[in-house]
Amino acid sequence: MSGFMGKILWVDLTTQTIEEEKFSEEIYKDYLSGMGLAAYLLYQRIPEHADPLGPENIIGFVSGLLTGTPSLFTGRWMAVGKSPLTKTWGDANCGGYLSLSIKRCGYDGIFLTGISPKPVYLYIGPKGAELRDASDLWGKDTRQTESILRERHNGKRIPGVACIGQAGENCSLIAGISHDHGRMAARSGLGAVMGSKKLKALVLAGVKPVHAVDVEKMRVLNHKPAKLTRFRLPVPDWAMSWLGKILRNPYISLRMDGILYLSILRKWGTVGLNQTSVEWGDAPVKNWSGTYSDFTEKDSKFISPGIIYKWEEQKYHCLACPLGCGGELRATGEIPENHKPEYETTLAFSGLVLNNNWESVMLINGMLNCAGMDSISAGGTVATAIEWYEQGLITKEDTGGLDLSWGNTKSIIELVRRMITREGIGDILADGSKQAAKNLHIRDTEAVVTAGGSEMAMHDPRMDAGFGLHASVDPTPGRHTTGAFMYYDMYRLWTRVKGLPKPTLLYSKKKTFVPTAEMGRKSVAMSEYMNLYNALGVCMFGTHLGADRLPLFEWANAVTGWDLTPEDYMQIGRRILTLRQMFNVKQGIKPSEIRVSSRALGLPPLNSGPNKGNHIDLDGMRSFYWSAVGWNIETGIPTPETIKALGLDGIINGEGA
Amino acid sequence: MAFKITEACQGCQACVRICPTQAISGENKEVHSINPQRCIECGACGRVCPFQAILTPEGHLAEHMKRTEWLSPVFDHKTCVSCGLCIISCPVNCLDLDDHNGRIPPESYPFLKRPNDCIGCGNCENVCPVSAIKMVEPSRVK
Repeated sequence: MSGFMGKILWVDLTTQTIEEEKFSEEIYKDYLSGMGLAAYLLYQRIPEHADPLGPENIIGFVSGLLTGTPSLFTGRWMAVGKSPLTKTWGDANCGGYLSLSIKRCGYDGIFLTGISPKPVYLYIGPKGAELRDASDLWGKDTRQTESILRERHNGKRIPGVACIGQAGENCSLIAGISHDHGRMAARSGLGAVMGSKKLKALVLAGVKPVHAVDVEKMRVLNHKPAKLTRFRLPVPDWAMSWLGKILRNPYISLRMDGILYLSILRKWGTVGLNQTSVEWGDAPVKNWSGTYSDFTEKDSKFISPGIIYKWEEQKYHCLACPLGCGGELRATGEIPENHKPEYETTLAFSGLVLNNNWESVMLINGMLNCAGMDSISAGGTVATAIEWYEQGLITKEDTGGLDLSWGNTKSIIELVRRMITREGIGDILADGSKQAAKNLHIRDTEAVVTAGGSEMAMHDPRMDAGFGLHASVDPTPGRHTTGAFMYYDMYRLWTRVKGLPKPTLLYSKKKTFVPTAEMGRKSVAMSEYMNLYNALGVCMFGTHLGADRLPLFEWANAVTGWDLTPEDYMQIGRRILTLRQMFNVKQGIKPSEIRVSSRALGLPPLNSGPNKGNHIDLDGMRSFYWSAVGWNIETGIPTPETIKALGLDGIINGEGA
Repeated sequence: MAFKITEACQGCQACVRICPTQAISGENKEVHSINPQRCIECGACGRVCPFQAILTPEGHLAEHMKRTEWLSPVFDHKTCVSCGLCIISCPVNCLDLDDHNGRIPPESYPFLKRPNDCIGCGNCENVCPVSAIKMVEPSRVK
């Protein structure tokens, strides 16, 4: 048994019972681990039309097949369950080191169901697993909770802790799960699922080793990615906005190469692209209605990489990561010691709301991490509220006296505070913008920019139509990590997988907005690869090096002793993707009704800026995608032939694998 | 696979005290036993046993060594990628990141923070993806 641990842990919080479940190697060969194993279990174990905040929902914490072996970029873990925000398959991906902590307890995943009568946390030590009283921790923020639990269980090993803060306890539908003092498994509202179950935290202090069949081969395979990741871009920070200006050429796209991208990440982290994205048209401005002329270079210089770099106390690497895109901020004044804001958080609380105060972004980032709230959804919801206020759809009476005009830093900070504590209007906004529109009886939902009910991340489909397509077709809607045409360039899958088209070095930008069969094939390949690397526990940034430079397929074979081809692994990716889609179908979701808000699709198009005139034919693109993946081209439901070809008919018919 | 204790055991409890996973049990002056479910094959019990009463998973007698002779890790910062696998994989939590010592960028590297806790298991060396760790005799540790 190599790579995988061969078993998972089930915890029923209602009955307070704990038991192990073992799996044969065949299951791992079909679904790998991580998101694949989660799809295999959640499809079968969560009943139809389950209440996401009810006892029948399951929250799972899964590791990856490659985690803990001598490989690189393989330290990602995922929280999984039915999302209370979108009512679809929900998952949240996170770094830190919890992924190995799960495996060191002897499990590939930990799954919890039921509802505990009182607050508890799950502790797993060398003597096994037990539920412990968390009454004293309930009400504490994520940093306090983790510090207390680390201190309490400070033995011979560092315990891995994942916990919720006030947002999760309050069942805010945009609550996430915190690990390592502020790394967030933020999306899908899975923190609310933990809160509904009265599960405050996991404390994982196991010490089991992870085995690999051919360690020496893995080390040889590591040479290339380790060497390529060392490259540091010899470019000053002021040049990053100019890079955006060059890229915003409306006619020609340059095939992206991940080596350049990773060199930016290595130097500055994700915030290295702040100004580039604003100028390029990747980052949405003014709740997706503005351009760089609304958030000018003068405004965005406050979030330039050089400014942020000065606040960085120490670089932060997730487990097994040679890149180190994270950073730790020193505590200053009101701003707590914390992880530095990522690109998404920074743009959500600067360009999206026209706020040009960098210190406030750091403060809000700290507040949200401590409360355990998703900064993408929080930022999107705040931007929506501001637009409503500016349009007169909500008034000072509704906001409790807050002047929610664009860029009002003090009001934005206060609004976030109220969302965390569910005070006044914050109580309504704490469940995201779509739910807020419903509760406030606002019929004109143009300002609500979501996909399937989840706020969109800071990547504009009007710049790269692939973001719009994948935000709609992936079983977890509204994600920027599921696919984009620039990702296809960087994945370089055509170098390893037969039959995939290689983009030319320069290609027409306008043509990427035209649905074609080739576009469908490329997009499905991206989805398969994404599902594959989430089953292996690999970081998306690592995969941007390219499939010929990051040896995922070879690592998987070296760890397990299998002899599968890249095509076999892509087939596994498609199997996981299709099973997640069937999860949605089982839960009563109609895939064709998961749409992206009109504004993000360019309906109507912007009349200025780098994305001027761009709009996305989502229906046309989805038809080609669904055709290529073997799902019904009108409904998006996997066809019986596809289900059978992927070997899923047994599970779908309730007969097991 | 796990280590085993033979009848030569005198029940001195040295292995009980050193085992990082609390896998060994037994009363004082009675033959001890190892729980194979908990054993991580670190070999510390074999090195500490004064009676040569420990069998390796391969069935060989583990060699008793003076604590001062146990191997310790040294780190090659030119090769190290600061990925932290060694730190999290250490069964006795004796490694940590240094405080970057003014490096630009502020990159931190692993070091042997608690040498007295190190059991010389070599787990860090085995898990390092870039071969930046070597287990050497203490006299060679700078």
